Amino acid sequence: MLLASSFVVVALVFCMATVLALFGVTHVSMSGAEAIERDGLAPGMPAPGWSLVDSTGKVVRSPPRTSLQLIMFTDHSLKSFPSVVDGLREVMAQERLEIVVLTRRRNELAESALRLIGLDGIPVLTGSPSLYAAYNVRVTPFAIFVDSAGRVRASSLVNHAWQVTKLLQLADLPPEPETLAPRGRFRRRTAGAGV
Amino acid sequence: MDVLVLCAKTILASLLIVAGGAKLSDPASFTSTVRLFIPLRVAWPLLSAIAIGVSLAELAVGLASLTLPAITALNALVFAIACAFVAVSAVGYALHRGRSCRCFGALSHRKFDAAGVLRSAVTAGIAAVALAHVGAAALQLDTTARVLLLAAAALLALAAFTAARARGTGREPEPKVEAQ
Repeated sequence: MLLASSFVVVALVFCMATVLALFGVTHVSMSGAEAIERDGLAPGMPAPGWSLVDSTGKVVRSPPRTSLQLIMFTDHSLKSFPSVVDGLREVMAQERLEIVVLTRRRNELAESALRLIGLDGIPVLTGSPSLYAAYNVRVTPFAIFVDSAGRVRASSLVNHAWQVTKLLQLADLPPEPETLAPRGRFRRRTAGAGV
Repeated sequence: MDVLVLCAKTILASLLIVAGGAKLSDPASFTSTVRLFIPLRVAWPLLSAIAIGVSLAELAVGLASLTLPAITALNALVFAIACAFVAVSAVGYALHRGRSCRCFGALSHRKFDAAGVLRSAVTAGIAAVALAHVGAAALQLDTTARVLLLAAAALLALAAFTAARARGTGREPEPKVEAQ
């Protein structure tokens, strides 16, 4: 009986310790700066394709018909990042670039907030957590440039104006042959390429 | 000595539960590993079924070993599984060196290498310790203890499944087209 009790105690303690260890390892691996650097999709990767309708009824597609599309993963909280707004103003004049804001879920405040900060004209699209997961985006504001062939050209978390303009420069670079992944299956990038 | 044997049993049971639970969170990647060991051309659904079967078997044996310690036949079964791990590691080391083994799904990025063979051998050694005779009568658990152990094992499997899924979110299949 003593042996059975000892076994139960040892087994319970060991199971609980393992559960705590799993929790700790997962927490550390997902919350560090390095983990956030791995967010997004690597240049050359195929981007998810979608077709969404904005509040005016206009259909927006990805990949775009224009040569480049900047998908901003954000919502009304973008107004808390004035430097990013400056960066968007700087690049939105470019005709070849289509900028869209993709929210994680329905957000009534996003459009009015964009208008308030002078970014009216940018379509606000209601995405979904699964679409965010498809782009491997957890933290906002996040920017992903997609070309007309449906490939990711640049991708990073953005907190400053210079990051938006730098990403555009990177997106303009011709894709390296070794980074071109075959279309068909979404894979996580293995190394961070944050700006 | 008895305490050592019981610790070995607990370690192996937990290991099997974690391995099974983690593999089940991403059967597709473990299926790729299974394919490495089947030289014939086999349809993907069949490979996938084998991968899921292996994962479920690990989970079931781990659960049984933890909640039914008096059944000595389970010790032999766990030892056989540990020996299979050694064989798989050795073949993987010989034929697929450097490829990911997916032994713990997305929880670990271990590859088929010499250290992997050594780890498997240590696991088999622990399984051999667990084979040592402990009186079955002394290990009879009452219902409460069994339910407690079952709950702990289920929690462990769930934790391994969730942790592996969280760490492997980027390996999802291509998303469907979303439309409003």
